[in-house]
Amino acid sequence: MSWTRLVLANLGRNPLRTVLTAAAVALAVALVSLLLTMPAGLDLILDRFASNTRISVHNKAGVVYPMPYAFTRKVRQVDGVVAAAAFTWFGGAYEEAGRVTFPNFAVEAEHVNAVYPDYAIDPGQMAAFLRYRDGAIVGRGTLKKYGWSLGDRITLKSTVWPVDLDLRIVGEVANDTAPMLWLRYDYLDEALKKQGWTGLGIAGVVWARVSDPKLVNAVMRTVDDLSRNSEAETASETEKSFFGNFFGSLDGLVRIILVITSLVALCIVFIAGNTTSMSVRERAGEIAVLRALGFPRRTIVQALVAEALLVVTGAGILGVLLAVGLTGTLRTVAGWNQTLGPLGNFMVTPGVVVQGLLLSVAMGLTAGIAPALGAVRRPVAEALREVF
Amino acid sequence: MAAHLPLGYSVRNVLARPARSLMTATVIALVVVACALLLGLIGSLRRTLIASGEALNLVVMRKGSDNDGSSQVTLEAYQMVRFLDGIARDAGDQPMVSPELVVQPFLRRLDGGRENVLVRGVEAMALPVHPEVRITQGRMIAPSAGEAVVGRGLVGRYEGAVLGGELRFGRGRWKVTGVLDAGGSSFESEIWVDARELGRDAKRLFPYSGVRLRARDAATMAALKRRIDADPRHALEAKPEVEYYASQAESADVLYILVVGVAVLAGIGAGFGAANTMYASVQARTAEIGTLRAMGFARGAILRAFQVEAAALGVLGFVIGAVASLVLAYVIRHAFGGVGFSASTFTTNVVLLRIGVTELAVAFVLAVVVGLAGGIAPAWRAARLRPIEALRRA
Repeated sequence: MSWTRLVLANLGRNPLRTVLTAAAVALAVALVSLLLTMPAGLDLILDRFASNTRISVHNKAGVVYPMPYAFTRKVRQVDGVVAAAAFTWFGGAYEEAGRVTFPNFAVEAEHVNAVYPDYAIDPGQMAAFLRYRDGAIVGRGTLKKYGWSLGDRITLKSTVWPVDLDLRIVGEVANDTAPMLWLRYDYLDEALKKQGWTGLGIAGVVWARVSDPKLVNAVMRTVDDLSRNSEAETASETEKSFFGNFFGSLDGLVRIILVITSLVALCIVFIAGNTTSMSVRERAGEIAVLRALGFPRRTIVQALVAEALLVVTGAGILGVLLAVGLTGTLRTVAGWNQTLGPLGNFMVTPGVVVQGLLLSVAMGLTAGIAPALGAVRRPVAEALREVF
Repeated sequence: MAAHLPLGYSVRNVLARPARSLMTATVIALVVVACALLLGLIGSLRRTLIASGEALNLVVMRKGSDNDGSSQVTLEAYQMVRFLDGIARDAGDQPMVSPELVVQPFLRRLDGGRENVLVRGVEAMALPVHPEVRITQGRMIAPSAGEAVVGRGLVGRYEGAVLGGELRFGRGRWKVTGVLDAGGSSFESEIWVDARELGRDAKRLFPYSGVRLRARDAATMAALKRRIDADPRHALEAKPEVEYYASQAESADVLYILVVGVAVLAGIGAGFGAANTMYASVQARTAEIGTLRAMGFARGAILRAFQVEAAALGVLGFVIGAVASLVLAYVIRHAFGGVGFSASTFTTNVVLLRIGVTELAVAFVLAVVVGLAGGIAPAWRAARLRPIEALRRA
């Protein structure tokens, strides 16, 4: 006999309990998925957005120790380097915030596209960036956050340089989580000269693209050799290593998030286990009758486990869907945040979905098997005597 | 009006089915732990930032800078500030003005990786201007001797960050002569060295990034701020030190969204779990409730008894959770050490996870609310049972 109908009938026996359990599990799975998106956001940056042919060249002492701007040209001439562009932190604050709410850099407009071909910036927009000295390329994440669109004019007050710059948005990096803003290096340089400074003259980080992943190590060695014994010795590293180090201080936070995630997962086991054991205990007599009628233990266990799996896994799927919905909201509320860094991206990656689903299957099995085995192990006669 | 059911009735009912009650209480306890941990973390971060700063101190930076890591101040500007009226004087009648240079070089972590650490170049006046900073081990640095004192939070986190050790950052090497303690404030995540040496090492165009000064009293502090803000030549801006650190603490606010999210989702989930247990409890006691009603206990009394039972479940959950979270926080503190946050200044703040009374109070409210919310519907059902039917069903 097929026991599918038995399972379905049992689910409907105490609909309130089924719904409550499912809702509790769904919320917990949603929470686990949400928390998992935080470390996943970090991995996403390291794995997907960090190219294996891009390297960063910066002062060995730290990114706040500048390098001479002229060093960019030397990097560009190294064999194997396709393109290199100087980046300097502008630290611009958009009016109301009064503090830096998205990362913004002065970049070399004529070189930056060749370093970031993977950003796939529209050629027309790139041409406009080259044409307008006050042009800016903005990541779609920040565009959306402030409701800007191409052609808008904005003013950024630098927290690092003694200038406010009026910018016109001429292009975008078409990725929903991209927070950055690029403005032109020569525009900042000129503004500083107007203030009586000698001009920018420095580069914070030089990003370079190497023609072949196999050449990356050789190129990094050559670049660092070029700067040896100079005023600013450099340390080159791959983009992945750069971001890995940059976000390394988040390790502690990630650990705590994982601890909390496992606690919540444990919660699911307790909620589901509690319900299953309640319903199995209530049905002790019924199970004994089934056994007395000759149903093998396996069938009964299968039916009970299937029941738990159906509730918990079904709820788990709902939970993952809920998490997908919630991340959208969280992204707009949280945005780019220096405290959270990429942990605040709240992107539901396929990995997170898979983990959420696996978790609910595992929880369903755990919650179902123990009480079911307990129920069928009891001698039939004893169970029947107790009930009747 | 009929009598209330005694409190003991509800509490004993919780204990009557220990396994089931414990399961539900554990679910509530786990929610308590999750929230207490997150709250403790954010609380520690906020406390660190807010605890920094003296009430009468002003932070003087270049106009437009939001932190002293990105500000520059010229020697002339420092001299101008130094001789303003209204500045407190130390025992030697020197104005209490501390020019400081902030640089964020890489330091190698002992467990691999590297972080930007805030290195503050200081002069002799730094200690009097920052009274919360005390050298608890070793001694303060001597000028131009390549020496450094490290904040307590950094000890054991970075290579050489220990009394007598040798730090390597920037272009040079620095001998650690002391460890500084700053009452839990963010100075404990800093390294202090000689300002002139640091300027040479970092090849800074400007000798200082900011100036900290002590006003004589609150009234002169406001006047000093106005005077500095209005100076046409140097484009400076003065901020009360307390405000300066409080604004840095805003970056922690987004973490609160995280906590609220976790608390709400986990709380509702646990509430459903509690409701399940309470429904089962009502169902199992149908006859008992019928008897109570037949004896003359009013609906309100039944409702109240079940709500007390639900709240007791919440309290039980809180007690288990509070103990567990204190233990867990202790373990995390000792196994992982401090938790690093990159603050809005791109430097690392090392925070020790501590769960205080406030965090536990919030967790207590959460646990009781979860218990009560989960108990409302079942208690309502119990109260609405008609005595005759309930007795017959039994």
